Amino acid sequence: MHPIFQNWKFFLLYLSVWLPLGAILGVLISVAGSLRTMETAAIIVPVIVVLDFVCLSPWYVCRALPLRSSGAPRLLGQHVLAAMVVAGGVLLIARLSASGFSGIFPGLDRRFVAAQPVLSVMVAMIYLLSIAMHYVVIEAQTSRRSELLAREAQWRALKAQVNPHFLFNSLNSISALTSSDAGRAREMCIRLADFLRTSLRLGERPSIPFREEMELTRMYLDVEQVRFGRRLRLHEDLEPACDECEVPALLIQPLVENAVKHGIALLDEGGEILMLGRRVREGLLFSIENPYDPQAPASRSGIGLANVRQRLEARYGSAGKLEVEASDDVYRVTLILPSRTLG
Amino acid sequence: MKAVIADDEDLARGVVREYVLRECPEMEIAAECSNGFEAVKACGECKPDVLFLDIQMPKLDGFEVLELIDARIAVVFVTAFDQYAMRAFDAAAVDYLLKPFGVERFRAAMEKVTRRVGEERPASLPVDLKNAARPVGEYLERVVVKDGARVHVIPAGKLDYAEAQDDYVGLRSEGRTWLKQQTIASLEAALDPKRFVRVHRSYLVNLERITRIDPNTKDTWLAVLADGSKIPVSRGGYTRFNALVRG
Repeated sequence: MHPIFQNWKFFLLYLSVWLPLGAILGVLISVAGSLRTMETAAIIVPVIVVLDFVCLSPWYVCRALPLRSSGAPRLLGQHVLAAMVVAGGVLLIARLSASGFSGIFPGLDRRFVAAQPVLSVMVAMIYLLSIAMHYVVIEAQTSRRSELLAREAQWRALKAQVNPHFLFNSLNSISALTSSDAGRAREMCIRLADFLRTSLRLGERPSIPFREEMELTRMYLDVEQVRFGRRLRLHEDLEPACDECEVPALLIQPLVENAVKHGIALLDEGGEILMLGRRVREGLLFSIENPYDPQAPASRSGIGLANVRQRLEARYGSAGKLEVEASDDVYRVTLILPSRTLG
Repeated sequence: MKAVIADDEDLARGVVREYVLRECPEMEIAAECSNGFEAVKACGECKPDVLFLDIQMPKLDGFEVLELIDARIAVVFVTAFDQYAMRAFDAAAVDYLLKPFGVERFRAAMEKVTRRVGEERPASLPVDLKNAARPVGEYLERVVVKDGARVHVIPAGKLDYAEAQDDYVGLRSEGRTWLKQQTIASLEAALDPKRFVRVHRSYLVNLERITRIDPNTKDTWLAVLADGSKIPVSRGGYTRFNALVRG
């Protein structure tokens, strides 16, 4: 339903806008057709009654044809065509009332002919204006919604950051090292602190350069490296051109965490995580690949991925992509972001 | 006393080892295992009195290990926070240690172990523990059974049917029958009710395997499976089957 009906105050306000609009239209046609006040009213009142409802219809049209969906000429063409149809329909109603009231106001239908062009043009323009207004409203709504979603996702990502499993296992590693290798224990404390601090700092910003996200990812992997030792092996293949690409903060790190938690951690011998970064036509391509045990007890990896997917959608609509491929023993997640270069 | 430590992280095993050596000089560490298979194997071979068991491990998780080992072994879970597992610990484990844990906490656990060594695990069977630890709406994707000293994993999709046999269930999969100590009711509770239907007091059948249902006597039917085997179907089972198939 059109949002204007959600609150009767808005609806009344909307209707009241039509009073001056109707007055202006009335003045125009009464001048063009030399009509008297009552004659003008007989034509204008039904026209306005119909028009104020017709001008709510763009709500549906505009959502079906989002601004970015197709080329500007096509979009404009479609709306101009719709405006012409609306003008035609309204003109028909005006003519019907003109001839209907001819009995009371002799010669009204004849004199109205002279006012037809100005009425049609005005109606078409009012309709086009309502389309423009609707686009503005829809745009404002979408951006508010995506901002909300992004904030929520960020909060969740942050919460996931200090994922209790990761934190407690890391603390346990530190506890193990204190007696065997105090130096390494201290080093691990520092790595963990670095990671937590950085993720808190980055989480406050909506976008960060890819380079910074990868630094955070490395801090995370540094900590996990202590836990998993040689079971966790890394290979990075990142094009320097990706460095300054803009990415949503903390979007990639959860993917890396998934690769460790659901891949490496459940493999006896561990394995190599391969991270790939490329500049592509669409923007930035990032993929992460890890070996996994297809026989392993099912784990809840879906939640993290769903979260990433949701954030992508809120941020980029259909332009951001997240693809998941699972072969016999390799799991690959590919991310494509329509990324601008920062700075 | 003999102990086995099962954890996939070297450092995590190190903590337990260190505490055992320092606090329980009379205790011998018979084996250290880095995955679930090894843990089951070591428990069979070394016959330990106590098993320190992590939950998330390669091959088999801690709950699966628990299902497959001798019920007399005193199990101490050693794990990081797990919201689902927590509530289940009390049931089958002597104690649980949450990583990281201090030496006092370890001593307390060892006191419980000493008191309980040799006693049979009371309370519920470990398979029910696993059910309790699973979040609502998630079902077992696989069933683990012991095959001599080895562990066999039956993916849920490859399980044809299960038959109750006293304290055991016979699990029919790929032309073989595996015996597992479990009640058919707890197996039924663990498997996805949309895929497995209890057609009879003693039979739980994989819906995908049923090719047709023939009338047998008044009030009983026979389910004919893809491999030709015939499973008795009770009146209640017939109703459940129909309810499931008709959605």
